[in-house]
Amino acid sequence: MSVFRYIADNWDTLGPQIETHLFIVAISIALAAAIGLGLGVGAARSSWFGTVVLAVTSTLVTLPSFALFGLLSIWVGLGNPPVIVGLAMYALLPITRNTRAGIMAVDPAIVEAARGMGMSGRQLLTRVELPLAVPVILAGLRQATVLVVAIATVGATVGANDLGQPILAAIGRSTGTLDAVLAGIIPVAAIGILADLTLAALQRALSRGRVAVAAT
Amino acid sequence: MITFDHVSKHYAGHDGPGAVHDLSLEIPSGEIVVFVGPSGCGKTTSLKMINRLIEPTSGTISIDGEDTRKRDPNELRRSIGYVIQAIGLFPHRTVAENVATVPHLDHWDKQRIDTRVNELLELIGLPPRDYAKRLPAELSGGERQRVGVARALAVDPNIMLMDEPFGAIDPIARERLQNELLRLQQVVRKTIVFVTHDIDEAVKLGDRVALLSAGAKVEQYAPPAELLARPATPAVTAFLGEARLVRRLALIHLRDVRLQPVNGSAPKTTVAIGGTLRDALDAVLRSPDGTVAVVDGDRVAGVVDGTVIRLASQ
Repeated sequence: MSVFRYIADNWDTLGPQIETHLFIVAISIALAAAIGLGLGVGAARSSWFGTVVLAVTSTLVTLPSFALFGLLSIWVGLGNPPVIVGLAMYALLPITRNTRAGIMAVDPAIVEAARGMGMSGRQLLTRVELPLAVPVILAGLRQATVLVVAIATVGATVGANDLGQPILAAIGRSTGTLDAVLAGIIPVAAIGILADLTLAALQRALSRGRVAVAAT
Repeated sequence: MITFDHVSKHYAGHDGPGAVHDLSLEIPSGEIVVFVGPSGCGKTTSLKMINRLIEPTSGTISIDGEDTRKRDPNELRRSIGYVIQAIGLFPHRTVAENVATVPHLDHWDKQRIDTRVNELLELIGLPPRDYAKRLPAELSGGERQRVGVARALAVDPNIMLMDEPFGAIDPIARERLQNELLRLQQVVRKTIVFVTHDIDEAVKLGDRVALLSAGAKVEQYAPPAELLARPATPAVTAFLGEARLVRRLALIHLRDVRLQPVNGSAPKTTVAIGGTLRDALDAVLRSPDGTVAVVDGDRVAGVVDGTVIRLASQ
């Protein structure tokens, strides 16, 4: 396989690109998780807020990434920042939607018992609802991560030095296109699969006694 | 003592199920008071107004003379045990962790919590060695509700609210739980407000029974024997049904009944003197000649037949 020779020969440039790719994905997911959890809790508490939040986050996903990154670069400049912000916007939907769904799926009898025993709203959320929603929230986090790992390649168009670079560089070349494209795609797929498996394992480990969720 | 003083709860737009109109009632300390009535009569609404899960539209509920609205609702609820039909155990917490819920909220130290949890699990007959570390999913329905009761008793509240706690449990386990509750009450002496739609359960458990009709109207509030012997209104008679006198037999203990002396040889069919007239009636129906020997260990205390039962029930 000439692609592995290509990867080995170009490791000096590919190594930093993998690192940047991982960095962009990690930061954007962390950002989206922080915001998405809050939005999801709010969306579970208030039905009109839930409707608005889901409509907005669903619309975000429909924006073409190429256009979104370009647009964001006007405000936050070129390089990693527009990619991080844009990916966080894409990741919001699965995280918000699953947080809301996970909380709303908690058996009303459990909530009634908790309130009847004198838990405050915050205690109910942190001790009962969120812990019970963890498997569903993690499923959303998985979907978001896999999505973002792939879309991050488009970030190369606005100057992010990630795994989109070898792909971008190969387009339009007369020779060696396949190897260069694969040199971008293979690490991306590897990162995606690893992240998915890790989060799936975490999801199973934290599902003790909770609502069963199909590990899809 | 819990006092309902002209308490009403109206729901906007309709006057349907669950509404309460002008309920006044006193629940004495240390007694089991059962609210019984048809679905939608407002019995659960009335119960939930005690711990303010539902706020009354008007009127006052006070506990030992203090208006419950003067207390922080969460602090009030932590001081009152609460058991519901669906149990609502936390599925991600062990039995011990579930029982420790309220002590934990009240910031007890770990040592004190552990001691209390073990004590309670022993009390409800689930040895901590076998049960403390189990998850609710690993228990039977009856065991789960026992944990529900232990959880409600955790900080030793004076008052327990029980909303059809045994309603979803199979009849055999239900009867055992009822007996255990009565045994437990001998030990803990709580003020228990118990909601059910099952008149047999009400009669069996209640020191007093409040029979409610739509809007939580009190049709009769009396000890079970009186309710069955002298229904106050046609609604009570209708709710008690045809078999009220047979039900009442279960409240009369054979020790309190004037038995016939043994005449010649004692009848072959026997009933233990610890039983009730209902047990005796069952034995009379089984007996070939309609007479039954009441036995106290090896000794025959007397004889029961249809006439004895009829006289004793009046």
